[in-house]
Amino acid sequence: MDRAMHPIPAFGRLMAAQLLLILTALFALITVGTPAAAAASVQNENMTVSLEAGPAHSGARTIAIVLTPKPGWHTYWKNPGAAGVESRAEWTLPPGATASDLRYPVPDRFVVAGIMNYVFKTERALLVDIDGLPASGEIGLTFDYLVCDDEICVPESANLAANLSDIGVEAGRIGRWQADQPTAHDGDARVEVQGDRLRLSLAVPQISAVSDAYFFPAVDGVVDYSAPQTASIAGDRIVIETATGFNPDADSVPGVVKLMLEGGETLGLAVDAEPGSVEAAGTPLLGGADETDPASGTGAGPATAPAPPLPLIFLAALAGGLLLNIMPCVFPILSLKALSLAKGGVSERAARSEALFYSLGVIGAVLALGGALLALRAGGSTVGWAFQLQDPRIVAALLLLVTAIALNLAGLFELPAIAVGADGLAASGGRSGAFFTGILAAVVATPCTGPFMGAALGAALVLSPLAAMMIFGGLGLGLALPFLVIGFVPALRRRLPRPGAWMERLRRLLSIPMFVTAVALAWVLGQQAGADGLSIGIAAAVLLGLALWWLGGARRKLIPAAASAAVFLTVLAVPTTLSNVGSADAAEGTVLAAAPYSPAALSDLQAAGDPVFLYFTADWCITCKVNERGALSSAAVADHFKSRGIRTLVGDWTRSDPKITAFLTSHGRAGVPLYIYYDREGRETILPQILSADDLLALGSGQDA
Amino acid sequence: MFKSFTAAALVVAAVSMPAFAQPQVGAAAPDFRAKTASGESVKLSDYRGKTVVLEWTNKGCPFVQKHYKSGNMQNLQQQAEADGVVWLTVNSSAPGKQGYVDGEAANAEMKEYKTSPTAYLLDPKGTIGRGYGATATPHMYVIDKEGVLQYMGAIDDIPTAKIEDVKGAQNYVSGALAALAAGKSPDPAATRSYGCSVKYPG
Repeated sequence: MDRAMHPIPAFGRLMAAQLLLILTALFALITVGTPAAAAASVQNENMTVSLEAGPAHSGARTIAIVLTPKPGWHTYWKNPGAAGVESRAEWTLPPGATASDLRYPVPDRFVVAGIMNYVFKTERALLVDIDGLPASGEIGLTFDYLVCDDEICVPESANLAANLSDIGVEAGRIGRWQADQPTAHDGDARVEVQGDRLRLSLAVPQISAVSDAYFFPAVDGVVDYSAPQTASIAGDRIVIETATGFNPDADSVPGVVKLMLEGGETLGLAVDAEPGSVEAAGTPLLGGADETDPASGTGAGPATAPAPPLPLIFLAALAGGLLLNIMPCVFPILSLKALSLAKGGVSERAARSEALFYSLGVIGAVLALGGALLALRAGGSTVGWAFQLQDPRIVAALLLLVTAIALNLAGLFELPAIAVGADGLAASGGRSGAFFTGILAAVVATPCTGPFMGAALGAALVLSPLAAMMIFGGLGLGLALPFLVIGFVPALRRRLPRPGAWMERLRRLLSIPMFVTAVALAWVLGQQAGADGLSIGIAAAVLLGLALWWLGGARRKLIPAAASAAVFLTVLAVPTTLSNVGSADAAEGTVLAAAPYSPAALSDLQAAGDPVFLYFTADWCITCKVNERGALSSAAVADHFKSRGIRTLVGDWTRSDPKITAFLTSHGRAGVPLYIYYDREGRETILPQILSADDLLALGSGQDA
Repeated sequence: MFKSFTAAALVVAAVSMPAFAQPQVGAAAPDFRAKTASGESVKLSDYRGKTVVLEWTNKGCPFVQKHYKSGNMQNLQQQAEADGVVWLTVNSSAPGKQGYVDGEAANAEMKEYKTSPTAYLLDPKGTIGRGYGATATPHMYVIDKEGVLQYMGAIDDIPTAKIEDVKGAQNYVSGALAALAAGKSPDPAATRSYGCSVKYPG
């Protein structure tokens, strides 16, 4: 350039136009020339590629190809996953020098619209070991790669050239790139293909610090990239399971197992899994410290249950609690409680304290139930939410309780102890009453747990106990919230209708949903304990009604608490005899010819190549029953299933069944209903919890016609 | 109350992951119904008795451009159709994403590239694409006369976006079609598709 500029002064009279021409030409040369002229670093539109050379040894010298994608962009691992391509390097080396294959660092997962990609989103270096390289001299590299953001992909190419002495870096810097490389796994790694499942296991040091694990296969076709992977700990080994890809029968399966460790660290192990038997899955790893995946909406969720973030679960629990307020079993209690505050003469303080004590009762009861549930599970019992309803004795007790509330609402009797009506909450003595009403609301709400709780409570059971209790707390808070708000916001109270004779009528009216709840519980009892059990339950309810009428019918409110307690204990003693009564067969009322679920029954049908509709139900689950009375009992659905050869299996969870609990847990559920369709290839589709006949009629039409 | 139930179910559904099907070579290819660029409705099973090629496309994708600008895709298509093969081009790009077309734009695209597939199928919701596990563009499928999937994966064996790499590449699709015509099974029957990810909604 100097030489080009030099002559200008000598031609002083050079015309301005000519000068301009020369400058333009020079400028053009510079701009066009840069990409063509190879440099040690090339800044392309979406990624910068640079060369660095490690210290010269007698043996191989390590060269780093440093990749820096623009923020929001990514480039690919050797196995790019379900889309993308691997990078290609073409070297121009001094005579006698030979380059190894590219050594890729441990990748990250990146899911775009459900497509799994194995990528690098931040600065990484691919390493190459080159034999016979002198201390100085020219090397050249043509590097072709694909770089993408969420929307588009751009193939770019970088022509690099450098003198080795110019790009030499200290050992420490190369060491930094080395640290991103996977560590060779020391010990045996085994892989086994069972049907359409690929199972892999390997011994891992410091296994207690591992919070999750993911297997990146180095070869294509081994796994279905978009299928979730499940990791568990069995002894000192990690077991990873996932769905196979189109070509699972490889002799050995190389790849990288990425371990997510406590505290956010990760460790990549390069494995070459040999065929062998893989132990059964152990304690599930739940991915608490999974690598973050900010740009991914769908989340590269590992784990059995795609666990949503904690605040979301808490909100779902809160919403679920709120929803419970309008359930037939809770609404009467809440509305009467609310109206009692509207009565004149309730001071600001009294209203607040009532609201607080009611909330305490609700939250306390829900937490107690949740705590009991967690304790039972910790003790090895396989129970789920509403587990208490799996015992006919408890159902009978609830039946009596609900009957008593219904009779009270209907005006048959007044009892201070369980009064939830207008009279029971006389201004000052309301604290314990409010607290008790809260507990009552929580207890009678359990049969009404809807689909909201399915997700939130399912999550609760696989989280740490503290987080789980937070979720139960959220549920309780949601349930208590309407009354809490009414108690604390006088403006709201003033908007409540004036009390009057209509309140008594409303109260009578509200006894109807309560009676309906009682009928539903009686039916559950009949299903659990048969006609005999049902008769005992109803007889007890009638006896209870008579007793209450006799005690309270004279409109005496001075019945000693001891007397009422005695009556209750007597009546409650009845249901304990129910435990020995045999169970009736459940899941009638649908016209689908359903066989009972067992893991063996399912695998037999699948082995025969039959499509299978599998569902889990329980008699105390109202959503289940709505579906069974609706979509599942449609004759059109039955015909459709018959013509398509779809076999139906039903798991009845009315009484606790560890096999079913295990299945539900593996699908991230703590409760029923759960509807699953397996097509002829055994592919699983989870159907909505609110089924429509159309959902069912669509089965078997597209996928395996 | 039912509204609340439905809302609740939606929340639950939103939390679950989108499911990807994985079709299998040797098994029946999933049937589907789709709207074509010219507004007709076709079903895969309409073509039973003929060999069918499915081609996933996205005009903005450099890997697709490689095979169209070189004329490779057009040649492959003409050859196939001359042999009585049905060629269905499928576009699963979602509205607003790269490569999305409506019927009009699809017709313009075919005119520009001088292609004439049996039909250009519009799949903006990605239903067909997800049903077939199409992950990249181009992603190719070959279905035999009995409706059995015989090949799925890449168009050829050089996974680049460079036009000059078309020459000298082994074309898996023409290989599969030749094998089927000779009454044999394609080899390879499944490969990794290379290219841009399919621009599905979500």
